[in-house]
Amino acid sequence: MRIPRGELRRSRVVDDAAAVLRAVLDEELTGYVVFEPQDALLLGETTSGVVTFEDGIPVLAYDTEREVGGRDGLEGFAVTGPTRAAVHAVDTAALADAHEVEAFRIPPGDPARVLAGDERLAEQTVDAAPAARRDEGRDQSAVEAFLADADAIEEIRSEAREEARARASEWGLDDVLADDARDSAAIEPGTDSR
Amino acid sequence: MVEAFAVASGKGGTGKTTSTLALGMALAEDYDVTVIDADTGMANLLFHAGLDDADVTLHDLLVDERDAAVSDAVYERFGMSVVPCGTSLAAFEAADPGRLRDVVAELAADADVLLLDSPAALGSKSAVLPVVLADRIVVVLQPTVPSLSDGLKVQEYAHSYGTDTAGVVFNRVRPDENVDKIAEQAGRYFGGQTLASVPESDAVRAARREGKPLLAHAPEDPAADAFREAAARLDVRDGDGRDVAERFKSAVVPERI
Repeated sequence: MRIPRGELRRSRVVDDAAAVLRAVLDEELTGYVVFEPQDALLLGETTSGVVTFEDGIPVLAYDTEREVGGRDGLEGFAVTGPTRAAVHAVDTAALADAHEVEAFRIPPGDPARVLAGDERLAEQTVDAAPAARRDEGRDQSAVEAFLADADAIEEIRSEAREEARARASEWGLDDVLADDARDSAAIEPGTDSR
Repeated sequence: MVEAFAVASGKGGTGKTTSTLALGMALAEDYDVTVIDADTGMANLLFHAGLDDADVTLHDLLVDERDAAVSDAVYERFGMSVVPCGTSLAAFEAADPGRLRDVVAELAADADVLLLDSPAALGSKSAVLPVVLADRIVVVLQPTVPSLSDGLKVQEYAHSYGTDTAGVVFNRVRPDENVDKIAEQAGRYFGGQTLASVPESDAVRAARREGKPLLAHAPEDPAADAFREAAARLDVRDGDGRDVAERFKSAVVPERI
């Protein structure tokens, strides 16, 4: 994933990502914002990600630590609480190549929704997006295809189970895990995170 | 008799708070319903229920040095008992989520149905706590790939803690979307039943602006009808309130966020 280096406009810690996304939408930024959730730092983890924009509308997302793009990438740096946001401007033409990477593209409302849980801002962003982008993420045939792929669904579920068990250990919630979840946690190696 | 439901979606944007209050109002026809804004980090139930100026909120019950009684944070609105949460970041930081179990246990003693409006996240202890504490979850979905994916994740978290799925609400469904086929496919992976397909409606936004639940603002709206249908399909189970209170109390919960 290569995004051309932009001109730094501002870098500051904000209470949540919504303020930055709103400002970028208002100023119709073309460029990118680097997000570094501060709570992750406190936990000793480095988390950061990039969202690119065209005229203020989010185009793609990339988790720079895990090197994952798209919706999954976005979730990687969706940490509640203060975040450092560095806003950079880039020429539209310079971003064109990066924006062609389909796998990293995200529906316009997703950053507001996922990073900030701000549905109103998500709706405003979708309303402000070009007509061709407004229905992204609402393709019924894609939903049907997703649900028809039983193996992929099982993968999502088993990953979530693993994650739930690992986090229960981290959070001291082991004792309230269901018996079968605890049993499989005991059998399978590598789920005990700390 | 009490059953606690966490209304959950994993991520935001599905209309979880609207759904919680709509289900609460519909269930209040037959049950004593208490609705709790358990999204302590991003509270917005108070805006939906006209409680913007509530003096005492859940936050006050979760902070050690505040001397508020649980009953001070309970507001009788729209036929339900509503426990809003405040929006102050400082209060959120000072709140001890571990106290949530005591508050919920006390509220459980007087209710038939508890509805916990759950955080749109799974990334912290305080975010999963409502799902840990509830008997069952109601998953609120939109018919989109990200929403279904998030819904599957929150369901797996819930099941890991022994919390079953009561059913699924498809919300904000657009006129051109045929949810029947999606619901049939999704039924293979989600527990419980499809409770309703709620159409996208302008009345939802208008209700939020007015600070009223949808069923109070526009009771005749097709979305309101769908939520009533969902509530009717929800088979609230008889339980012993004391058992629930006991389980809440014994749940090992974190001291800090």
